[in-house]
Amino acid sequence: MNEMITRLLSFGVSGVNGFPVNVEVFAISGMPGMEIIGLPDTSIRESKDRVNAAIINSGKNMNPMRITVNLAPADMKKEGPSFDLPIAVAIMISLRQVVPAPDIDLTGAAFFGELGLDGQVRPVNGVLPMVISAKENGVKTVILPEKNAQEAACIQGLRILPVCHLKQVIFWLEGKEEIQPQEQVPFETLKNEAMIPVDMSQIKGQKGARRAIEVAAAGGHNMLMVGVPGSGKTMLARCIPGILPPMSFEEALETTRIHSICGKLPSGSGLMVTRPFCAPHHNASVASLIGGGQDARPGEVSLAHNGVLFLDELPEFSRGALEALRQPLEDGIVSVARVKRQAMYQSSFMLVAAMNPCPCGYFGSNRRTCRCTPPEIRRYLDRVSGPLLDRIDLQIEVDSVPVSEINESQPSESSAAVAERVGRARILQLERYQGTGKHCNAQLTNTDVKKYCSPSSEAVRLLNSAVDTLRLSMRAYQRILKVARTIADLSGEETVSSVHIAEAIQYRELDQKYWR
Amino acid sequence: MNAVTTENDQYDAWLASACLPPAKVQELLGIYGDSRHVYEAFVRKEPEINEILSPGISILLERNCTQENLTRFNVLMKKYCISVLRFSDPEYPESLRLIDDSPAILFCQGNPECMKSTRILSMVGSRAASYAGQKAAQRIAEELSRHHVSIVSGLACGIDASAHQGCLDGGSSTIAVMGCGLDKVYPKDNEALRDRILAGNGLIVSEYAPGEKPSGWHFPFRNRIIAGLSRALILVEARIRSGSMTSVQHALNQGKDVFVYPGDPDSEFFEGNHQLLREGGIYFTGTEDILEDLHWLDNPPAVRQNIGCSAEREASTPEEAAVLHALEKGKMGFEQLLNATGLNPSILMSTLTILQISGVTEALPGKQYQLKH
Repeated sequence: MNEMITRLLSFGVSGVNGFPVNVEVFAISGMPGMEIIGLPDTSIRESKDRVNAAIINSGKNMNPMRITVNLAPADMKKEGPSFDLPIAVAIMISLRQVVPAPDIDLTGAAFFGELGLDGQVRPVNGVLPMVISAKENGVKTVILPEKNAQEAACIQGLRILPVCHLKQVIFWLEGKEEIQPQEQVPFETLKNEAMIPVDMSQIKGQKGARRAIEVAAAGGHNMLMVGVPGSGKTMLARCIPGILPPMSFEEALETTRIHSICGKLPSGSGLMVTRPFCAPHHNASVASLIGGGQDARPGEVSLAHNGVLFLDELPEFSRGALEALRQPLEDGIVSVARVKRQAMYQSSFMLVAAMNPCPCGYFGSNRRTCRCTPPEIRRYLDRVSGPLLDRIDLQIEVDSVPVSEINESQPSESSAAVAERVGRARILQLERYQGTGKHCNAQLTNTDVKKYCSPSSEAVRLLNSAVDTLRLSMRAYQRILKVARTIADLSGEETVSSVHIAEAIQYRELDQKYWR
Repeated sequence: MNAVTTENDQYDAWLASACLPPAKVQELLGIYGDSRHVYEAFVRKEPEINEILSPGISILLERNCTQENLTRFNVLMKKYCISVLRFSDPEYPESLRLIDDSPAILFCQGNPECMKSTRILSMVGSRAASYAGQKAAQRIAEELSRHHVSIVSGLACGIDASAHQGCLDGGSSTIAVMGCGLDKVYPKDNEALRDRILAGNGLIVSEYAPGEKPSGWHFPFRNRIIAGLSRALILVEARIRSGSMTSVQHALNQGKDVFVYPGDPDSEFFEGNHQLLREGGIYFTGTEDILEDLHWLDNPPAVRQNIGCSAEREASTPEEAAVLHALEKGKMGFEQLLNATGLNPSILMSTLTILQISGVTEALPGKQYQLKH
């Protein structure tokens, strides 16, 4: 009796982690038909028709038998069409349509892939977490869709067999034809392919803002830009991923995992080496931003993990959405709880926000007159709550660039040059915070600020008089010290001097002008 | 500053609470001597008083003539330190005696002596004012205030509030003429400002009895007091159909100068100003010119020179000197300053901070910087 049961290994995804799923097939004579059990979702339930057609179109027969497919463990929900391939293979073995060659070790192999009616194998989401889990579970060989092969190629110590048709799998099982294994791609070579989406040399003028994004990138500080429409806020923000230090292997793995389960990886691409840049539109719901839905999917904050989350038109975002940002900003992690599912997603990102200074957009502009009254402006600014502002270290104004500078042919400094300075500052920070679990100045708490940002006595005098004359708040005081630490790191100095403090104060200019 | 309440105050409040035309109140007071006697005559329903008062007015007076109401007036006046100034009092300001419809009874909070100053100017403008207008109002008021000019305005939001603030910043006391009872502040946002005015030895004044609500028609009417108290009026910002125009009209009727702040010619906020300028309003060219026109200038040359050379004195490093030199031409954006001074961005930023802290320059919205006057 036992002989009629076939077991194959596959993997499912829960949150950002893969888990092993045993695909068990039991075929017995009786009323012909197929039943899939083990908490499948609709796409898995529909797979019986795809599997049926794919097997027949691959030149094998579906014997008229009663087939039961069980996806174990039976108490975990399974989703997605990635079980098509293991189900088809297990059924063919059960029905003795395929007899595996003796040298094929099916216990150490894992299968995933979606099937087309004609038998072709289509790419699926979440391959990276599944492959990682496969490795942890002692799997030696992974059979997966050809288009997902690059994604898995960075995992060392696994034989990855990419396939594009069910026939290939059949021939491989029968020992008639080998599958060319996917070549390993070491992370170091991938790293060189990192793209710079927008290069800073394309930005004309804006020397003040350029300096500000350099400081923000060097310390990992969140940043808010206020400026008239068309002043180049979006362009500046898009430059930031390119000047941040390159992702480490672990970071790339974390980010790719999240993109993989959301199906956001471009088809055929491997590990993400370029830092993500997410720019959700301002009508985004809380669930799309933070994560949620029935199956507790990751939101934009997690897709931006290790990268930049850019919120343009900040006051236009719903209050709820903005307030919900506070937890991921504080903890770098977001927990999404739904009735059926709970998940924790990493979401350690750099927040870059942009907004107009007033509803009409031209407050303070010397090119056009603002049509707003001060109460209107105040109401507009008040949509951004204090606690959120509190988490944004750099707040700057961006002025529009005069036409004369746009036409200037002299190229500005490139992203690569800026990235080098940023990288040096980051190394200093890594050395300083070794063993504390922190890696950049933005993560310092108030007690850390006392410990690491002790300014010279002259600098303290300057800061104190600034607090008096510019009427800075206590929280601004802490932020200034943090940012000054970063500025000192950029110039490679150990003590925070008054020049650094004085520059850092300029990055709190909005406090003085707008949110008084 | 404690208000000296006399026993007649409650009757004054009663008489004012009906909001009779001032001439009618004068007539009653002329016949009966004071409000207490008016009250007694009214309560006794004497035939003479009914001849003077129309039935509608009698109903209004009737409503508030119970003993509870009188007590309520008394309590409110004690609580808010409200004193009463009658037309017959010698302390009543001469300037108000000269206008049509002089208020017969004034309720005062603070220092009534303010109204006797010879240097009073009124400033009026929109409630929904532009940023530029408010800044201008504040600056003008502050400059005038430094020359011991008191500013009278209406304690509304917008230009009024900025004018009061500017005057307080400049050190002179300021007068607010309210369109409601003094137990209230309208709009409520200006409560803090009222307290500042009182703390600055200023005055809050109204012709309306305590407890009177801020009805819409009070405001244009009280504008005659604003114009009446002042020597001349400055219109800071008004659209074509603005309530501020009633103040202008009152000032013109009273034969007072009206200075019109020109504002941005393209801005719709200043359309009323431009119309008035076309019709012959006096072009506002600076506070010193107003002071000169009114012969209030103490020692003209000294003031101008002080502003001119402050910049040169404060620079202590070459960078600061470069920035101050560039800013002497007027306000500048950050990028312009970079080009003008040739400094690198981080040095320029720290230099600007130091100049801001020492109070030589100030930062304006739109990443603009200018020398502080």
